[in-house]
Amino acid sequence: MTDLLGNDLNLQYELLGPEIALVITAALVLFADAFRRELKIGQSAIPAISILGLVVALLLSLLWIDENKDFARLVTIDNFTTFFRVLFIAVTVVVIIGSHEYIERRVSHLGEFYSLLLLSTVGAMLMAGARDLLTAYLAIEVMSFSLYILVSLAKSDTRSGEASLKYVLLGGVASAMLLYGLSFLYGVGGSTQYTEIAAALSDGTSTLELPLLLGLALIIAGLGFKASAVPFHMWTPDAYEGAPIPITAYLSATSKAATFALLLRWFAGPLLPAIDSWQWMISVLAVLTMVIGNLVALQQSNIKRLLAYSSIGQVGFMLMAIVTISDQTGSALLLHLSGYIITNLAVFMGVIAFYNRTGREEIVAFRGLAQTNPYLALVITAGLFSLAGMPLLAGFLTKFILFQSVVSGGYTWLVVTALLASTVSLYYYLQVIRQMYMYQPEGDASRWRLSPTGYLATGAMLVGVVWVGVYAAPFYTAADRAIAPLFT
Amino acid sequence: MDSVGVVIAFYVLSAITIVSAASIFLLRNLVHAIVLLVVVFLGMAGLFLTLSADFIAVAQILIYAGAISVLFVFAVMLTPLASRDNGNSLYAGPGLLLGGAIAAIVVVTAFDVEWNQLTGVALEQRSFTDTIEVIGNQLLGPHVLAFEVASVLLLFALLGAIVLVTDPNNEDGTTAEEEAGKDTAVGGSE
Amino acid sequence: MTVDLAHYLAVSGIIFGIGVAIALSKRNVVAVLMGIELMLNASNLAFLAFSRFSGAFQDGTEPLAGHTFVVFVLTVAAAEAAVALAMAVLIYRRRETVDLDRISVLRW
Repeated sequence: MTDLLGNDLNLQYELLGPEIALVITAALVLFADAFRRELKIGQSAIPAISILGLVVALLLSLLWIDENKDFARLVTIDNFTTFFRVLFIAVTVVVIIGSHEYIERRVSHLGEFYSLLLLSTVGAMLMAGARDLLTAYLAIEVMSFSLYILVSLAKSDTRSGEASLKYVLLGGVASAMLLYGLSFLYGVGGSTQYTEIAAALSDGTSTLELPLLLGLALIIAGLGFKASAVPFHMWTPDAYEGAPIPITAYLSATSKAATFALLLRWFAGPLLPAIDSWQWMISVLAVLTMVIGNLVALQQSNIKRLLAYSSIGQVGFMLMAIVTISDQTGSALLLHLSGYIITNLAVFMGVIAFYNRTGREEIVAFRGLAQTNPYLALVITAGLFSLAGMPLLAGFLTKFILFQSVVSGGYTWLVVTALLASTVSLYYYLQVIRQMYMYQPEGDASRWRLSPTGYLATGAMLVGVVWVGVYAAPFYTAADRAIAPLFT
Repeated sequence: MDSVGVVIAFYVLSAITIVSAASIFLLRNLVHAIVLLVVVFLGMAGLFLTLSADFIAVAQILIYAGAISVLFVFAVMLTPLASRDNGNSLYAGPGLLLGGAIAAIVVVTAFDVEWNQLTGVALEQRSFTDTIEVIGNQLLGPHVLAFEVASVLLLFALLGAIVLVTDPNNEDGTTAEEEAGKDTAVGGSE
Repeated sequence: MTVDLAHYLAVSGIIFGIGVAIALSKRNVVAVLMGIELMLNASNLAFLAFSRFSGAFQDGTEPLAGHTFVVFVLTVAAAEAAVALAMAVLIYRRRETVDLDRISVLRW
């Protein structure tokens, strides 16, 4: 097929194999759930189908390693896209395995839950691959809409509905701001294609600096919301607290990574020529985010809220890489992002296993966990230490490489702030660890075990945390190869 | 765009739209605000027509003035005991300030900047006489993926809206039993 | 007397500002949503104004990409209204209120 100018459009649908596979799986899951009695299948068939679909999507995305193609000039399939596709699929698989027990018990509308989870993964994958503003906008909305609904699905928890209402309202405002910014970008750049915008911005936009600045401010506000950067973070603690815990884990991993994928695509691509207009905005955002995120985390008493603020703090570190954008910081960011996701999932899988047993999520509830379940305490401790940046764990190495690349990008003062913020974060992570190891358990102190899938998910993440910390070479190479197409 | 008719239409429609939008902020009765919202949508459709966007104008009337405003009315009707008050929250001050600031910045930018825009003959040439054909071609050609993604989005938004308002307690037996059985786990935290 | 890009952008900016003010300062969920719809509408006006007037386009069809964009914004706006209003009804059922100042088990 050709477009109106007669340019050939490459409508190779197999390029979108993973996305198509996931949408089909989402539909299958819905049908399977609706006709569960007629088909005589159990509840656990639904996560099984989802995982099967995800594995198929994973294999399909591995087909395109080292290719550089585009689908109808709308989606690029290069190593960057493949990297994020694999990352998002892996996150969804881990979340499903680690939490199907939780989901069966505490989530209303099982089939819809899994299919929306798959759909939001599709949105995230398209965000990473898009090379056209319209496609990117719709991808953002697909991911956000699924998350709005997923947040509200916690059963018999009044916080859930309230959290999702706040999320959808603030999310709507943020999307509208982003859209208004995009309209300016479209007007100034004269196209919805990234490549055309980059070309238009690099040759003489001198008279249009002001509208471009305005558009950038609106775009950064909108994306800052999605990434939960201060001062656009107000929804984060509420959504994290009100959502079912698997969705909290998912929000902190996929939703964040997808936003950073989009930020990298935009700020290393179409917006790179305008770097002088946005560099200072992002650096202000980065400082605010890491300082406020880490300071407010100090006063939290709920583990989900604590992790929400800690993840806000982490966003600040990641934004530094956008400030000094280059292939070096870009690959450091990808490495840190994957390390952070593995670490965060380790903590969340631990918290989910804990919640399945106790139904509690206050930090004091973790008292004496080292005695009642030493393995789980070890997993959570390893995760928290990794988040704080302790040596031998994923967080230390990836943070070190990230900070180093930002210093060589010439922003030493940012890194100094980040180091201070990082030190503060150690304090509140230690608070949780202290509860687990230094106190006697309250009441029932008998030992308990995790479910088999609980062991599988937490074990895999624990291995991941140590593996990235000790032998990160494969991840480093992958990040390097993934970032390369953006800077050619 | 020299035709006097278009200029007059622009000013009249803008005045109607802006005044109605501002009244939504000021009016204290929510139902009146919804009526004014419809007026804003219609005014916008008129403005779209002056930009030769005929298809979008019609779609705007059908979707916004027709469907979305009905949704709003439904939402008000389905929450009978809630207040019909369109009052301000605790954040009214900052909100008004931010809105005003954005509006002022955009207006100043709009008139201050030397826009790279078409004039005279070039503007006449871009008259958009057949927008529907081009939009249709774009939907199935250069923007085919957006078309497909949007269809998935709509399907799942529909699904989501249904899921949200379905009370799990009134569903089939299994869900209700689970609800009753598993509540103890949460309650046991005391 | 002519009307050009600046005039349309000014109108869209004013509507957008009013939308922001409504969305951030109203107590009622339905009113907040009205603000969001106004913001989306203002964006649409900006898109259409740019596609009518902007001289930045390289070729003949790009201007209408703005129109296509607006078609999808209309779609998303409808979906958003449906989801958010469903959520408002859900909250109302549990709390008998759609007043954001009173929906506050969670701190903002």
